[in-house]
Amino acid sequence: MAVAQTDFDTLATADKPQGYWRGVGRRFLRDKVAVAAACVAGGMILMAVFAPWVAPQDPFQGTMIRRLSPIGSEGYPLGADELGRDMLSRLIYGARLSLFMGVTPVLIAFLIGSAIGIAAGYAGGWVNSIIMRVLDVFYAFPSVLLAIAISGALGAGILNGLLSLTVVFIPPIARVAESVTTSVRKLEYIEAAVASGASAFTIVRVHVLGNVLGPIFVYATSLISVSMILAAGLSFLGLGVSPPNPEWGLMLNTLRNAIYVQPWLAALPGVMIFLTSISFNMLSDGLRSAMDIKQ
Amino acid sequence: MSDAILSAHNLVKHFHAGGWGAARKVVRAVDDVSFEVAEGETLGVVGESGCGKSTTARLLTHLLAPNSGEVRYRGRVAGTEVPLKTFRRHVQMVFQDSYASLNPRMTMLDAVAFGPTVHGIDRAEARRRAGALLERVGLDPARFGPRYPHEISGGQRQRVNIARALAFDPDVIVLDEAVSALDKSVEAQVLNLLTELRRERNLTYIFISHDLNVVRHISDRVMVMYLGEVVEIGPTRTIYDRPRHPYTGALLAAMPSLDPDRRTLEAPLQGDPPNPIDPPSGCRFHTRCAQAHGPCPLHAPGSIAVGHRHIAACHLNAVPEAAT
Repeated sequence: MAVAQTDFDTLATADKPQGYWRGVGRRFLRDKVAVAAACVAGGMILMAVFAPWVAPQDPFQGTMIRRLSPIGSEGYPLGADELGRDMLSRLIYGARLSLFMGVTPVLIAFLIGSAIGIAAGYAGGWVNSIIMRVLDVFYAFPSVLLAIAISGALGAGILNGLLSLTVVFIPPIARVAESVTTSVRKLEYIEAAVASGASAFTIVRVHVLGNVLGPIFVYATSLISVSMILAAGLSFLGLGVSPPNPEWGLMLNTLRNAIYVQPWLAALPGVMIFLTSISFNMLSDGLRSAMDIKQ
Repeated sequence: MSDAILSAHNLVKHFHAGGWGAARKVVRAVDDVSFEVAEGETLGVVGESGCGKSTTARLLTHLLAPNSGEVRYRGRVAGTEVPLKTFRRHVQMVFQDSYASLNPRMTMLDAVAFGPTVHGIDRAEARRRAGALLERVGLDPARFGPRYPHEISGGQRQRVNIARALAFDPDVIVLDEAVSALDKSVEAQVLNLLTELRRERNLTYIFISHDLNVVRHISDRVMVMYLGEVVEIGPTRTIYDRPRHPYTGALLAAMPSLDPDRRTLEAPLQGDPPNPIDPPSGCRFHTRCAQAHGPCPLHAPGSIAVGHRHIAACHLNAVPEAAT
């Protein structure tokens, strides 16, 4: 019955033109893994937004007697950390800073990097070479080192951490933007647009943007997990988020001594980072295949 | 000639192929090409792959800037005497790859309507005209207008590309292998459409193809290119019946015949064309020419008039010095 219904739907829609994004949505919903990943990522975001309502306890209030309570202790479903603070509440609150540190630099870098990369790719020739060689200078440094160097120079703090991560992500995003734009630039529909007498700006706006932003966006979502992990690293060195603020990377680091006493408890922030980053990665994978028009 | 609507004057286009300074290598894609097209006529351009046909097309439409030489539209130099934007409204192009030449994120109606909006026609009016043009090229605007390129067939896409070129109300359309990628039956339909449109709108075509039968069918005059140069240009019938350049003769001999008694037993041309980075001296064809003789490797023959509007670049046509 269900099969017959599907066939009927396909037949009914076969002769009907469909918008591009509707097609993407339909293909995305068909991908079970991607939908699951979207649910997890969406759940994390909701959890972060509604943290004060969801968290059972105050994430800053510790009880020394409860230090390193195991998972499943009474009143502390996920145990308590090295200062006796409720682990569950801290993980829920931690989603706020962790997601913020993961998403914001990528988002800003996406805007700036795309602009640079598209300009370089569309201009081509010398302009392209100069822009890309300058960006290559940033490539010479490992991303962690670059983030630490910039953060260190600017001083500790969330804002400086954000800034340094943004700088780290601009070159890779610009490079992807440049390569996608260069390949689109060579297609004949761009030549046809040039032959129409349209200005470069109009051509980029009407014909280039729609065809390059998708792949760049997909790549950018895959950087969210990297950004979260780098942010955690900065926090560990005292350059990003500082205690007692709950942030998964910072929590992972402060709990590292407890790994012999309560290994499962100490691993919890890592589990959260893992869950979030893998769901963002799978989400971007699903988006990529859903945007593949030739399916 | 004063009635030429579009003319090429000593067009040269070299592409950088690596190396710098003394070791700099260039591909001589188009080397000193001149010709003109009269209003309302169809000029066929034929030649092997890599002979510079497509580069010539892009030079004519100013999608590529020539290294030297100029393109004139009604006697005025494109880009200087005629502003490029105006020039582009008059000279349009249809590309070979019907899929790559349409924006995958744009509906057919918007694709056709885009051009006129660039030239200041408001969107609603442009879309109305686009609908009428789709209708003219044989596509129901209600059904095909809202579609995307991947949802329609190659022949239908190429009709959309033709409609897009027509939307500018041009005088000249450069068709770069516009029907080569289509099935034979669809190709015939599109060719008929092109013939009808030419009559209806007094269009001038520059029809580039490697298919000699199609070129013969549609062209008034034919231009034969070899290694970036024009080797022969003349009226279609004359070129096909009495070619005056050995290369044209070889190309025609390579045409498949349906008559079993006249089948081609031996390839008339051996091997591939020489490398355009380092073309042969003198006449560029002498390395593959069956009739090459004394002067051929030494100096280029230049254009020699061999009949009414018929020019061939071959020493065989040179009038002996003694006779004159």
